[in-house]
Amino acid sequence: MDISKAPNPRKLQLCRTYFFAGFAFLPFVWAINVCWFFQEAFRKPPYPEQNQIKRFVIYSAVGTIFWLIVLSAWIVIFQTNRTAWGATADYMSFIIPLGSA
Amino acid sequence: MEKRLSAAAIWLLMVLYGASVAQGERTRDKMYKPILGASCFRRLNGTHQTGCSSTYSGSVGVLHRINVEADLEFLLAGPPSPPYAPMIPPHLFTRDNLMRLKMAGPQNISVVLLVNQTNNMQQFSHELNCPNQYSGINSSSETCDATNPAKNWNPWGTGLLHEDFPFPIFYIDDTDEIEKLMQCFEKFNNKDYKTHALRSLCAVEVKAFMSAAVNTEVCMRRTNFINNLGGSKYCDPLEGRNVYATVYPREPLLNDGIEVLRTDEKIIMVTCRLDTVSMFDGVGVGAMDSLMGLAVFTQVANLLRQLLPPQSSLPDSRRNILFVTFNGESYDYIGSQRFVYDMERLEFPPESAHSPPIAFDNIDFMLDIGTLDDIANIKLHALRGSDLAQKLLGQLNNYARASRYGFNLNIQSEISAHIPPTSAQSFLRRDPNFRALILNARPTNKYYHSIYDDAKNIDFTYANTSKDFTQLADVGDFKGLKADSLQMKVRNISSIVALALYQTLTGKEYTGTKVANPLLADELLYCFLESADCPLFKASSYPDSPTGLQLPPMRYISVLGGSQESSGWTYRVLGYLLSQPQPNIPKENCTKLPLHYFAGYNNVGECRLTTQNYSYALSPAFLIDGYDWSSGQYSTWTESTWSQFSARIFLRPSNVHQITTLSIGIVVLIVSFCLVYIISSRSEVLFEDLPASNAALPPPTAC
Repeated sequence: MDISKAPNPRKLQLCRTYFFAGFAFLPFVWAINVCWFFQEAFRKPPYPEQNQIKRFVIYSAVGTIFWLIVLSAWIVIFQTNRTAWGATADYMSFIIPLGSA
Repeated sequence: MEKRLSAAAIWLLMVLYGASVAQGERTRDKMYKPILGASCFRRLNGTHQTGCSSTYSGSVGVLHRINVEADLEFLLAGPPSPPYAPMIPPHLFTRDNLMRLKMAGPQNISVVLLVNQTNNMQQFSHELNCPNQYSGINSSSETCDATNPAKNWNPWGTGLLHEDFPFPIFYIDDTDEIEKLMQCFEKFNNKDYKTHALRSLCAVEVKAFMSAAVNTEVCMRRTNFINNLGGSKYCDPLEGRNVYATVYPREPLLNDGIEVLRTDEKIIMVTCRLDTVSMFDGVGVGAMDSLMGLAVFTQVANLLRQLLPPQSSLPDSRRNILFVTFNGESYDYIGSQRFVYDMERLEFPPESAHSPPIAFDNIDFMLDIGTLDDIANIKLHALRGSDLAQKLLGQLNNYARASRYGFNLNIQSEISAHIPPTSAQSFLRRDPNFRALILNARPTNKYYHSIYDDAKNIDFTYANTSKDFTQLADVGDFKGLKADSLQMKVRNISSIVALALYQTLTGKEYTGTKVANPLLADELLYCFLESADCPLFKASSYPDSPTGLQLPPMRYISVLGGSQESSGWTYRVLGYLLSQPQPNIPKENCTKLPLHYFAGYNNVGECRLTTQNYSYALSPAFLIDGYDWSSGQYSTWTESTWSQFSARIFLRPSNVHQITTLSIGIVVLIVSFCLVYIISSRSEVLFEDLPASNAALPPPTAC
């Protein structure tokens, strides 16, 4: 969908929907929201809905970064401690590497 | 017309010429030459992993021949083009050398090839000095002292079988294959070592990747894991079957199937070990370490079956002899541990046998046949002194020394905790007062649990007489064999054991002249050492059933779904030798067990009343819920799964070559990107006439 062709209220509606959808543990939706509406929010000449879009984009960006930090921290912790945690780590995994601890 | 003819002639010439030059061979087949051999693999117990594994995609190393110990120094002191793959002959495959290679790390040594060049080999045993030390009666130095060769059971053992190697070890048996490797090494590697890094070198790639890791607890947990989406198996418990039979048929269960313990039944157990083991998959027949025992065991069974009077005419008609050969004993007594476990729970014999259970109270005593390396130095071992040990020793020596038989042997006794590593230890571990006697010779086997414990090690030559091996022989009749031949040694010791048991059962001394037939030992050893397509196996099969392979049966316990050849053949042989002929029953009526129709000697066909059956040889550790894997109570051995074993040689380009190729590739990539960018940005100059692709279409002209 080419966002530039949509009318402004439709843009706002989309941006809002994406922002709320992200709360369903879908940080990727927030990330998409940021990329998609970044131009609209910060680069386009002002229009009435722009302020609200800007807000949703910023919130989505914050959420994305929050998730990014939490996930990377967890991945680092899990991968470095996986062998030490033994059975617990195995029960958390779906894919267990072959031929190593 | 002429022109066309000549054109056709040229085409024809080209096609003909092309056909003679063209090759349909794949590039892959031109690059690689496969090498046949056997690989070492990974086994795990409750606490460790042992054996070897390659990397996931196969380990590659530059071939390097090791002729003398000094050749290893080249590989260990910063070699020019690592990693290397040393080709080691057996006499240099020592603990010292292997541990040094292991220490050098997989970045220097990635593969080890063991080449079958046995000229200087003096010994080759990679079992521990004290086999099964932690699963026996106790692990004290009194039972076995690893540091003192006089007090342990495998003085030549290096223990490498219980080490974990970070590289695959591949055994190459065939001389042609070894020649291939040596030629490649001579042609490309064995010159100007300093420039190794700059040249293409002959390298080997070995694939032997093992899925399991850490220990049995981890790999069993992962295998049984509910989240295991791929359904992949990491390891399987070592599992096989024990084979047992009785000299007299036991009364079957009553029709209502209620298990009633026959408390008055008195059973003598005669036991031995069925399996063997080696470092390499599918190689190793265990000639001296356990086949000698099995040969004596079957001879004793055959002799007793034919000598003993009917059960009803024994002084005590409730006596019987139970012959059991245990599987998986090399790995912490799997078979006998399970047997003891089952017997304690009155689950032996298994339900399928439809016979009443046997309890420990039914066992009069156990005579375990251990390793018989040196027939002249056999001892009767017991943990505690008893009248029984004295009496049996007297009987054994009575026949061993009797001038009428001329066996000229002397069996000594040893009453101490210095008990050989045999199945009896599982019984003594449960109850030190259990009446177990063990026949075991002084250890002289320099190839214990190895690929070289073969026919040559026991100096076996097949007599191939085609004479009847089932009948007993007169003591003076050597059947054309030399008096000092292996077959005669087996005959002598098995006759002594069988006659002593005969006396125990009947209460009378044996005065006859019939003894074991050395040809039975000849045939049995041939079947198990050289070819399963042999007269004895044929005789003990159903008539015209498919013959065995012309290879010795595999005697490693293996896992569920493994070949189980050795227990299968032993089942038939024991069934055949320990059964009573039923000449009045025709073949048509001889279909339901315990009746079984055998081909018999010379394929005459005979119906026999059999007693043989299998019992499980799977460690109780895998049956008990929540078993503590590190407790050491039961055997915990498992075998890792793998997808393939393969080895191939090829020319590995030098590092400089590889780096150059990669760099050129990257440069070409970058240049092509730049080129495309430039062309695209200047497209209007290059393609002046063409409209831009995103330009609006010209309006349709009116008709």
